[in-house]
Amino acid sequence: MGRYLLTRILQGILVILLISLFTFAIVRLIPGDPVDLLLGEGQVPITEAQVEAIRRQWGLDRPLWEQYLIWMGKMLTGSLGTSIIRTGVPVSRMIWEAVPVTALLNLLALGIALAVAIPAGIIAGSRRNSWFDYLFTAGTTLGVAVPNFWLGLMLIVLFGVVLRWLPPFGLRSWQGYILPVAVLATEQMAVLARVMRGAMIEILAQDYIKTARSKGLSYGAILFGHAVPNALLPVVTVIGFRIAFLLSGTLIIESVFALPGLGRLLYDSVFRLDYQVAQAIVMLLSILVVVVNLLTDLTYAAIDPRLRLLARSR
Amino acid sequence: MGQQVAGSNRRGRRQFLKQGLQAGILTGTGLAALSTSGLRHSQTAQATPQQGGTMVVVGHQEVPTLSPGKAVGNVPLFVIYQLYNGLVEVDENFEVQPALAESWQISADGLTYTFKLRQGVKFHDGEDFTAEDVKYTYEFYGDPDSGSTLIGQAADIESIDIPDDYTVVFTLKQPNATFLRISANNFYIVPKHYHEEVGEEVFETQPIGTGPFKLKEWRAAEFTELEAFEEHFRGRPNIDILRQDIVPEASVRAIALETGQADSMVWPPLIEDNLRFEADTENYTTFKTPSLSVNHFPLNNNHPILSDKRVRQAMMYAFDRPRQIQDVQQGAAVLATSNLSPSLVQWYTELVTRYEYDPNKAVELLEEAGWTVGADGIREKDGQKFTFTCTTITGDQARRPQAEILQQQLRAVGIDMQLSEAPITAIQTGLRNNTVDASLYNWNYGGTNGDPDAPTTLGSDGRSNWSNFKNARVDELLDLGRKEVDPEKRAEYYREIQQIVADEVPFLFVMYWDWFTIFSSRIKGLPESALISDFLYKKCYQFWIEA
Repeated sequence: MGRYLLTRILQGILVILLISLFTFAIVRLIPGDPVDLLLGEGQVPITEAQVEAIRRQWGLDRPLWEQYLIWMGKMLTGSLGTSIIRTGVPVSRMIWEAVPVTALLNLLALGIALAVAIPAGIIAGSRRNSWFDYLFTAGTTLGVAVPNFWLGLMLIVLFGVVLRWLPPFGLRSWQGYILPVAVLATEQMAVLARVMRGAMIEILAQDYIKTARSKGLSYGAILFGHAVPNALLPVVTVIGFRIAFLLSGTLIIESVFALPGLGRLLYDSVFRLDYQVAQAIVMLLSILVVVVNLLTDLTYAAIDPRLRLLARSR
Repeated sequence: MGQQVAGSNRRGRRQFLKQGLQAGILTGTGLAALSTSGLRHSQTAQATPQQGGTMVVVGHQEVPTLSPGKAVGNVPLFVIYQLYNGLVEVDENFEVQPALAESWQISADGLTYTFKLRQGVKFHDGEDFTAEDVKYTYEFYGDPDSGSTLIGQAADIESIDIPDDYTVVFTLKQPNATFLRISANNFYIVPKHYHEEVGEEVFETQPIGTGPFKLKEWRAAEFTELEAFEEHFRGRPNIDILRQDIVPEASVRAIALETGQADSMVWPPLIEDNLRFEADTENYTTFKTPSLSVNHFPLNNNHPILSDKRVRQAMMYAFDRPRQIQDVQQGAAVLATSNLSPSLVQWYTELVTRYEYDPNKAVELLEEAGWTVGADGIREKDGQKFTFTCTTITGDQARRPQAEILQQQLRAVGIDMQLSEAPITAIQTGLRNNTVDASLYNWNYGGTNGDPDAPTTLGSDGRSNWSNFKNARVDELLDLGRKEVDPEKRAEYYREIQQIVADEVPFLFVMYWDWFTIFSSRIKGLPESALISDFLYKKCYQFWIEA
């Protein structure tokens, strides 16, 4: 196990290093000049020499490899640099302000999704073709199919405009979290519930379930003693997967509900060629993905005895 | 010798507009635009101002900086207007008004500007404002090492002298008629004692100015909250708290105004919503003004096909622009005649080459240029097909239909315009490097702050000359215009530029969008009319909220 862990950590470091190189290259390959964006659409009379002076301010006049080394050097000492667009503000502060919003949104949504999806998936999977199962299938299909963007706007119209129960945007109070979390949870709930149901159906058809039944174990004991723990495995994978792609869902939600989260920060910084910020966020996310993947694998190893055997036999 | 200017400009501009309307000079689109658009649409009457309350406005992008030397764009400038003052300011009718300077004199040769400063003005920390602060501000943000975008505007300053605490004398290297309007309005004065001590980086997050509101809390991507400054030189503002919320999604901004969560919008929502709010005069006050930036198709004038003037003119004739205004903007726009917006009454001219929709004339011009119809209906010349690509901004749902309509209309006269998409920064770099043929967006070709100067977009070596337009006479006129102190002579130069641009068609000028600035009707004390509605926010200090 120790050796397995060490190999996985070394692999992770290599992956992160490669990602840093690719991220830097891709961000810098985006055509365009951030100075153009700083100047705006106005008639700012400015000469090329004066633009050079601004570029020099941000070290953008140096060769690319030098900029990469400076950036990596800073990263290793724990500094993420400063933003070009939010001039002079440390990138770490910008991320630090945005992370809690996105993290809270996702944690709440995931918590609600799990609380609803797992029991619903168990019931639907164990009572296949019942009315509950049909309702469940229709509901989850809708949940997966409805676009976040549309659902968000519809909830705003209903609860913000018609009923006036909840604020249509922003985080001025805790109520601001309700609608965005509901939208995020809807999709996650649908995905997780479908995975749970599928896994239940598959496992309930396995031989060891038949064996357990023939041994005279009660249905409840079979369900919660054998089927559910095993059916949770794919759910764990999907959760890991969702953390890796958490920004894809929150970006839209953060824009619709005007929440200052990480997704919007990344989108804005790529759009505005704010190199330092975009690079830093992609790096942090890659580290997160690598770590989550590692943890998912370790969780797997912990809850799936087959993997433990495999690791031991190596 | 010198001439006293304070206040005179105001009468001149009003007089001109009035006379122009009376004499019927401003006919057609220009008249239509000016007679209706500048006025606000509201039925409510004004009463006695009340103190107190919170006014919330919504913007679409974050406020990335609070530094007056770096902020650009409507959303950040809304905050800058409240925190600081310049020596003078350009108001919503493009009139130059005194601000921190009570009066000013310009020498006859246009080289010396003498400002008499207002006394008793306080910064937010209670310190007195003096000439030292003016000199410091211009020197700091004029220095290339500051990284400020204002450095180009200070380039003509030879020296700044302060004979006493309340007099500032600028000596220029060469006459620069834009100096008062462009630079004085953009150079917002910062306190020397504080800025020097904390440095620009700290200053831009904890700013101090002389403005009617001072900073309470700033969360760049979420909101900026300001509070009334008791000792403001124009008197304490009526409103207690001024807050700007950032709401990227247009429909949600409209909802915010509708539900009373916001009182105004720094960046308007979708056109349908704008028209709806405008029609509801009971609950909203709407200012509708033609924008200063022209909606246009930049054409790369270095492109082998598009470099021929006749070809570009033919495209204008083949292009049904009034239909575009109707279909895409639901009529809320003014047809463009050249590079300047009809809002700029002092400089605008109607006397330019017009391009009525006339496909036959387009065909004539194309034939004259040697482009004959090939077997597939596409024109060709010397074995080369008439084909080029128009790259629109990725995800730009509002403008993309315009390109599609143009594509069909050009196809009808045998021109093949392909469509593709790319981010705006990629398009602009591509136009500059001749790898993009044509595009579609809105941009300023003169007119910011009411001054017609446009060296960066129309000058041969201009950094934002997206069509790579090179015309020696325009370069000469831009130079003459910048150095001419007499406004009437200046206007002649800029009218000639408009004629050349209309004739040369460096880009396909389509329309000037109507810009909607909407206020909830509980906001009172608004100006009666405006030629540029986003400058209305400079007057927040006199607004008040009806209880």
